Amino acid sequence: MIPRREALERLSLLLGGALSTQVTAALMGQVINGGASVAVTPEQTALLAELADVIIPATDTPGAKEAGAEAFIIRVLRDCYPMEEQESFYAGIAGIDEAGRKAHGKAFVELTPDQKNALVREAAEKNRSFFRRLREMVVTAYFISEVGATQALEYLPVPGRFEGDVPLKPGQKAWAISR
Amino acid sequence: MPNLNIDARKANTYDAIVIGSGVSGGWAAKELTEKGLRVLVLERGRQFNHVADYEYAMKAPWETKYNGKITLEQAATHPKLARDYPYNETTETYWMKDADSLYEETKRFDWYRPAIVGGKSIMWGRQCYRLSDLDFEANAKEGIAIDWPIRYRDIEPWYSYVEKFVGISGEALGLPQLPDSEFLPPMDMFFVEKEVRKRIEKAFPGRHLTIGRVANLSAAKEAQLGVGRGPCQFRNRCAMGCPFGAYFSTQSATLPAAAATGRLTLRPDSVVREIVFDPATQRATGVHVRDAVTMEDHEFFAPILFVCASALASTALLMNSKSERFPNGLGNDSGELGHNLMDHHFRAGASGMWEGDLDRYFYGRRANGIYMPRYRNVGDDKRDYLRGFGYQGGGSRQGWERNVAELSFGADLKNELVQPGPWTMGLMGFGETLPNHANHMSLHPEKRDKWGLPIVVFDAAFGENERKMRVDMMEDAREMLESAGLKNVKTTDGESFPGTAIHEMGTARMGHDPKSSVLNGHNQIHGVKNVFVTDGACMTSASCVNPSLTYMALTARAADFAVSEMKKGNL
Repeated sequence: MIPRREALERLSLLLGGALSTQVTAALMGQVINGGASVAVTPEQTALLAELADVIIPATDTPGAKEAGAEAFIIRVLRDCYPMEEQESFYAGIAGIDEAGRKAHGKAFVELTPDQKNALVREAAEKNRSFFRRLREMVVTAYFISEVGATQALEYLPVPGRFEGDVPLKPGQKAWAISR
Repeated sequence: MPNLNIDARKANTYDAIVIGSGVSGGWAAKELTEKGLRVLVLERGRQFNHVADYEYAMKAPWETKYNGKITLEQAATHPKLARDYPYNETTETYWMKDADSLYEETKRFDWYRPAIVGGKSIMWGRQCYRLSDLDFEANAKEGIAIDWPIRYRDIEPWYSYVEKFVGISGEALGLPQLPDSEFLPPMDMFFVEKEVRKRIEKAFPGRHLTIGRVANLSAAKEAQLGVGRGPCQFRNRCAMGCPFGAYFSTQSATLPAAAATGRLTLRPDSVVREIVFDPATQRATGVHVRDAVTMEDHEFFAPILFVCASALASTALLMNSKSERFPNGLGNDSGELGHNLMDHHFRAGASGMWEGDLDRYFYGRRANGIYMPRYRNVGDDKRDYLRGFGYQGGGSRQGWERNVAELSFGADLKNELVQPGPWTMGLMGFGETLPNHANHMSLHPEKRDKWGLPIVVFDAAFGENERKMRVDMMEDAREMLESAGLKNVKTTDGESFPGTAIHEMGTARMGHDPKSSVLNGHNQIHGVKNVFVTDGACMTSASCVNPSLTYMALTARAADFAVSEMKKGNL
């Protein structure tokens, strides 16, 4: 077998040296996303699921936890966001947990609904950019989930026709796919 | 003993070769096979089967991994493709990877190249508008570039011809600057669009707001049902490929028609490296092809060649086809090959919010927007720039993605988002770009791509005329929306670089004179009568309307001409 470095050089020559290092690396199947992603612990996963459920709780329809919103958030953060944004996100949720421990001596997941709400409100006021990111993640994760799209909203995979002006029926939910 | 060379040549000889299988190549294949020719279609992209290969078309949102987002790795390895939305989770495999699609840019240039049979006919925006004599006469009247060798009357019957097969939904307006097509029923407009239309048309005589003219079947007729297409289901997932064949693509329409003749051979993974010119006959004899996968070289022969590889790829191919007779590229006696590169400039406009009427809603997802035909520099209107723009855009009610009160969360947030949001309306200009010799592409003297072909270098930018026009694109939109009663109207000048609109064109323009143009009025290379270029490369000016319909009409027209010339013994 040809050593990796030599293989890369040969390929580069074949291509006329026109490739950037990044592109060549990608061609060779090398992952170039600046190092590892945040390794998410079961505790972080549980905390995120709980926070998501505070942002989108169960009402007459299930909330974000039942929808499994945290799995989408963890996946998108891991694969689509730079390491420093992942770190600041997980630091943000850890901060809420920490504040809860200080105030009540318990992990966030063990607190009462009122205590959880108060902590999230406090975090929203103190760190708006983190809160906006968290909320955007939860809202997206929830409304594209099967539970969110088909129970909280009205999911219409194949409308079959278009009408641009119809009466909104009393209590009618918004379309899950809005465009 | 048989002569292997002669046998191999015979096996690789067709009546016509079509290079490219997008909107133009598909039409060339259909027309030429239906006229009795045995046609070889060479497509550099991989095989891409109708319905079966539309991976995300029927997936629910929760069946995507990232809800459309691309990953960091994809962004890092595709720094050019990842500049814009066409490269996303659902269609990312439809595009040529950055590593395969090498090019350099003196100034930013976006080049979106498909990696599949059918080309961009799968991912296109499907908006279909006819050019008019306002467009065909503009260069001559204003002394810009060169005159078009054709007028509206030359192309009009061919617009009708292709439209009846394509199936275009739209509304007839009877406007000279935007001639009507052969229409299927227009799609409905949103409540807010109907209101804004009434108010704008009343306050601004001469301006019209209509539903977009789009190649989606609002009703399927015999011409479409015959190739297995069905009516639009209003899912608005077109770019992923339509399992219902409801919008026009090579796969849904022209390919099945061509295949039905029994005279079509489609060869995917075929990178055409060069068109071979025979100085004895002053004709092209065929093409050199490198198999994209095996890297093996092949030669194919035909007395008629249709170059439909998309404007820039077709031009690069001609430039790379050098001979003693054509040292600067096939058909490049004029020195104009690669020059006059145009695209539309867009993403300038305005949008606003509509108050009230929250008791009205809509049903279905319309794969179409509104259209406002050009009114600037039309009739008595005179601006401090040349040409004009049309508006696309539209209005709807916002969904759960909308912004809500900054700190809201919990049941309040959820209860708000499960209800439809306010009505909104936006207008975005698509502006004409002037042909400019200085805007050009060339082949890199040394650098080669994976298949050994010289990579393309772009040097093109929008100019003063476009910049002035963009002010109107924003300010007119603001003025009209405000007068129509929208609130909180905001103008936007989004980024638009040459290539961003994916309406690239003009690099092998048509003209009367071989000294200043590459193609004649039949899309025939002036000096090489059996080679026709019928994609966007042929455009002498850009108009402001979406161009694909014009490529289809010009292709069908050129195919008709080619076959009649062949029968007369002229090719």
